[in-house]
Amino acid sequence: MNAVDPRKEIAVVGVGSSRFGRDLQMDKLSLIAEAFKEALDDSGLRKEQVDGLIVNLGVDCDLLPMLLGMDVRYAAQTWPHARLCATVVHWAGMAAVHNTANYVACIWCYTSSETRNLGSGLGDAQRVGGGPHFERPEYGMIHPGAGVAMATRRYFELYGSTSEQLGAVAVAHRKWAALNPKAVFKKPITIEDYLNSPFLIEPLRLLDFSPVTDSAVCIIVSNADRAKDCRKVPVYILGLQGMKSGREHIIMAREGLSLGQQRVTSFSPSMKDIPVYGMAGITPEDVDCAYIYDAFSVSVLFTLEEFGFCPVGEAANWIQDGRIEPKGELPVNTNGGNLSECWAGGWAHIVEAVRQVRNECGERQVRNAEIAQFMITPGVAIVFGR
Amino acid sequence: MDVPYEKPLPIIPDYERPFWEATKKRELRLQRCADCGHIRYPSSPICPECWSSEYEWARLSGRGKVISWIVYHRAFTPAFAGDVPYNVAWIELEEGPRLVANIIKVKNEEIHTDMAVQEAFIDITDELTLLQFQPAT
Repeated sequence: MNAVDPRKEIAVVGVGSSRFGRDLQMDKLSLIAEAFKEALDDSGLRKEQVDGLIVNLGVDCDLLPMLLGMDVRYAAQTWPHARLCATVVHWAGMAAVHNTANYVACIWCYTSSETRNLGSGLGDAQRVGGGPHFERPEYGMIHPGAGVAMATRRYFELYGSTSEQLGAVAVAHRKWAALNPKAVFKKPITIEDYLNSPFLIEPLRLLDFSPVTDSAVCIIVSNADRAKDCRKVPVYILGLQGMKSGREHIIMAREGLSLGQQRVTSFSPSMKDIPVYGMAGITPEDVDCAYIYDAFSVSVLFTLEEFGFCPVGEAANWIQDGRIEPKGELPVNTNGGNLSECWAGGWAHIVEAVRQVRNECGERQVRNAEIAQFMITPGVAIVFGR
Repeated sequence: MDVPYEKPLPIIPDYERPFWEATKKRELRLQRCADCGHIRYPSSPICPECWSSEYEWARLSGRGKVISWIVYHRAFTPAFAGDVPYNVAWIELEEGPRLVANIIKVKNEEIHTDMAVQEAFIDITDELTLLQFQPAT
């Protein structure tokens, strides 16, 4: 227990990522090693000191430590879906807080060989009760964007929001990517470019989908005591919330849309419904930069509403006029996100959040960034701070 | 069936067989809990409300309305290439449950929120009949 500040128990002590790119033709192990090396260097730790390892996606946790020559006393892995990233970071933190491991490496690796299980193949879409993204292959409802496209249409119909308004998300992400040397998609786009991009799963367009790219990320998590032995000032997890699940919760969308079997048809969250703020001792106004899981652009709208950054039904309006862009009121996805930096689930967002709080982001550094909040709708949040 | 059906077939657990026996007879039936009366979807061996394992397959009206819909402009699996652009809709049945289906006999541009639809049945193999929806008459 951190006697000085009970919020500051879990610390991120190292972050690293591999090269990013389209179809890198590299194997997962080599990419993971690249990311891990950078994280070790960042933390000042030696490989031998890392005694925990949790894999979100990449190489199984029984095999990876052997191939990396590690000796791990806390190994685990998740159902291989990217939306479990924050779960992994929390899990790593709990292991460190309970001293069941000193330093826990969290691992992500995605390569194009996995694409066959996404767009063109069926993967786990064929599952009793429907796929993990609401897929129903027998009706041609396939691809992880299917359910969120349904949510988009419903949202547009309920609030009168337009495709043109939604385009501001894609435009903003390219502006941030232009400031990020690692981003894969730096070329600016205009709203006209967005409206000219074809519908894939209407109402979602090509530019609403994060492009498939290869990446690996490693984040090393520890407790407040052990963090003192590392190179840099720790970035603490000041508060968090878990992934919501159940009848009222739609992956990548939000409550109150009358989708799936949702019973509650309206949505008006109050601060007591968003416990991460109380836990971290902040309000949305204190958030200096927001990291929103953007496998699809529209999730940014749902997330802003869910976490109280703007009134329900207003997000499409709220993001206009550069509000989430560089120099905007609420910087969102300052690395360019999945839409423009690289597809890395939520992992590159977390790396960026940590680096912003450490003031390491150069041209895209948000001034006086003290609080960064990572979110995945529905439910997931991590508040990072120093 | 002369032409082999290329599209993915539904994965059917044992407890769901009666649903498909019903669609073959052009009936829409869902499970109604014998203890609390809740009508559930997706199908499941226990009631999500009261966890009872007792239920009957109740015949429903077959009528509902459109809650949302999407149109695929690209086939993400080859079997649907010939259907592009095709719609998928989320339908809210009169009885409450919502399910996904294609709306047939309609132009995609004509689909709208709260559009009234009714059941339709399409034989896809000798054993299986797929539930679809069409504009209500």
